[in-house]
Amino acid sequence: MKLILLFISAAVVNNFVLSYFLGICPFIGVSKKVSSAVSMGMAVTFVMTITAAVTWLIYHLILVPANLEILQYVSFILVISSLVQLVEMFVKKISKPLYDTLGIYLPLITTNCAILGLALFAVLREYNFMESLVYGIGAGAGFSLAIVIMAGIREELELAKVPKPFEGAGITMIVAASLALAFMGFAGLISV
Amino acid sequence: MAKSKTTLRYEFLKGLWDENPILKSLLGLCPVLAVTNSAINGLAMGLATTFVLLSSSIIISSIRNLIPNQVRIPAFIVIIATFVTVADRFLAAFFPLISKDLGPYVPLIVVNCIILGRQEAFSSKNSVFRSIIDSSGMGVGFILVLVALGGFREILGSASLFGVTVLGDWFQPWLVMILPGGAFLGLGIFIGIANWINDRRARA
Amino acid sequence: MNLTTKMIVVLTVLTMVAGGLLSYWDGITSPRIEAYRLEQLKQAIAEVLPDHESYDEVKADGMILYIGKNSNDPEPVGLAFEAIGNGFQGKISIMVGISLDFKKINAIKILEQLETPGLGTKIVEDPSNKEDRFWFPNQFKNLITEPQIDVVKNIKPGKPNEIQAITGATISSVAMATILNDGIQKAKSIYQLKVQ
Repeated sequence: MKLILLFISAAVVNNFVLSYFLGICPFIGVSKKVSSAVSMGMAVTFVMTITAAVTWLIYHLILVPANLEILQYVSFILVISSLVQLVEMFVKKISKPLYDTLGIYLPLITTNCAILGLALFAVLREYNFMESLVYGIGAGAGFSLAIVIMAGIREELELAKVPKPFEGAGITMIVAASLALAFMGFAGLISV
Repeated sequence: MAKSKTTLRYEFLKGLWDENPILKSLLGLCPVLAVTNSAINGLAMGLATTFVLLSSSIIISSIRNLIPNQVRIPAFIVIIATFVTVADRFLAAFFPLISKDLGPYVPLIVVNCIILGRQEAFSSKNSVFRSIIDSSGMGVGFILVLVALGGFREILGSASLFGVTVLGDWFQPWLVMILPGGAFLGLGIFIGIANWINDRRARA
Repeated sequence: MNLTTKMIVVLTVLTMVAGGLLSYWDGITSPRIEAYRLEQLKQAIAEVLPDHESYDEVKADGMILYIGKNSNDPEPVGLAFEAIGNGFQGKISIMVGISLDFKKINAIKILEQLETPGLGTKIVEDPSNKEDRFWFPNQFKNLITEPQIDVVKNIKPGKPNEIQAITGATISSVAMATILNDGIQKAKSIYQLKVQ
């Protein structure tokens, strides 16, 4: 039960993009089309889930016993960038179509703050292994939800007349503002 | 534009406006949105980011010829993460209140695209001196936007600036400005205004 | 030197230098960070238990009881503990000073909270109330905890175990009462088990 609540909390109540501002770059950059937003969402969720598990193991089985918490940031970011690389090679080997969909997005994920943010938050909140894993999946689902909604709105926006200086990033930010307000309605639903 | 693209002066000034990392390149937006609920937090975040940017640029431009091309990204990341840890611990030890406010957004400087972006685009190809100029310009440009956005949101959302009340009792603070929605709204308006000014300059 | 060796050497040297630098920096900053944490803790305990000169720590079940002592008094003057629970958006942690029979709260201090700025944050400080910015936390001074702390809305509290909710932040207000009620129960059972 607690895990289900944790999932909902990470996905909607404390949405990574709209209330923690994590993963904004791809949120703005890859939200022009619903199809690419879906792929990006999948890629991020995939990497997030693996990252949550691996960084938990590294932190609790290596860094804490060795009293090396100060190396947390260095080791996490190294692990994430190697993971992304590994995932890329792995996906390329097993499924060509999947690689074609996710391929170009994977390298971008290394500098996606949502991934490192996830690893840091999981440590900060002292989650156990299962909780971290669920938190990773939930956060990924939340990211996908936000980016897909955004892409849906932007596809419609193409037809709207937007003042010229606000075209592109400007109007995207303002749409994101209303989305963030809407998502605030979820706050208080549950808190984990 | 009359200025030559290669003068040192331009190398510095481009970060302030022409290639402003936030308004133009839309880089490093997570901290911009997350910590700008007050001017002072924006300033602290800007300074921490500039410190990391400057230190990493100095190190990377001075050892740029030693790093094999294939491992340059991991090497850059290690250097950046090291300086971020230094900055994070420094804030926690000497400015605990600010450190608490910025919370996990200080470690997230590691993945701030501005820093890795400048290393890739500039420091790994230019001399130490030029890299320092470039990073300082980018850093100052970043700080200016953070403080301006932080100030804008603080005035409207809490009727104060740098913690000092500036608007009287007649003003009902717009709470929304210090909530997440206000961050997106504020930045959207800033980007719009910047584009508008550029359009006018281009036409003039 | 071939490329692979060079790659490995460069990365290894770099990581080692980084590790060395960081452990040196850790040595300088860690004591300060720890000292600050302790000082904050002491200050919070002093605020909620004003009469004590020193305190003993009793640890059990993930909670620490700080039992306040005074040289003029053979009995402990009261005790403090940290109650943690969920607020509107995130965790709220409260330092609670309470009498030894757990019937009356001395005072509370909120250590951490992530409530909505301007609404839920009134549990700490309410700038819109010009007479008493701290009216909400002050309500807990000398509050009776039995049978439990109750929250009333829009009216002045009538009973000694009631507090008034913040308008627009009912969930945060109720969360405060719940966290305190749960924390007091837990602290009470630890105290009875470990100390008495």
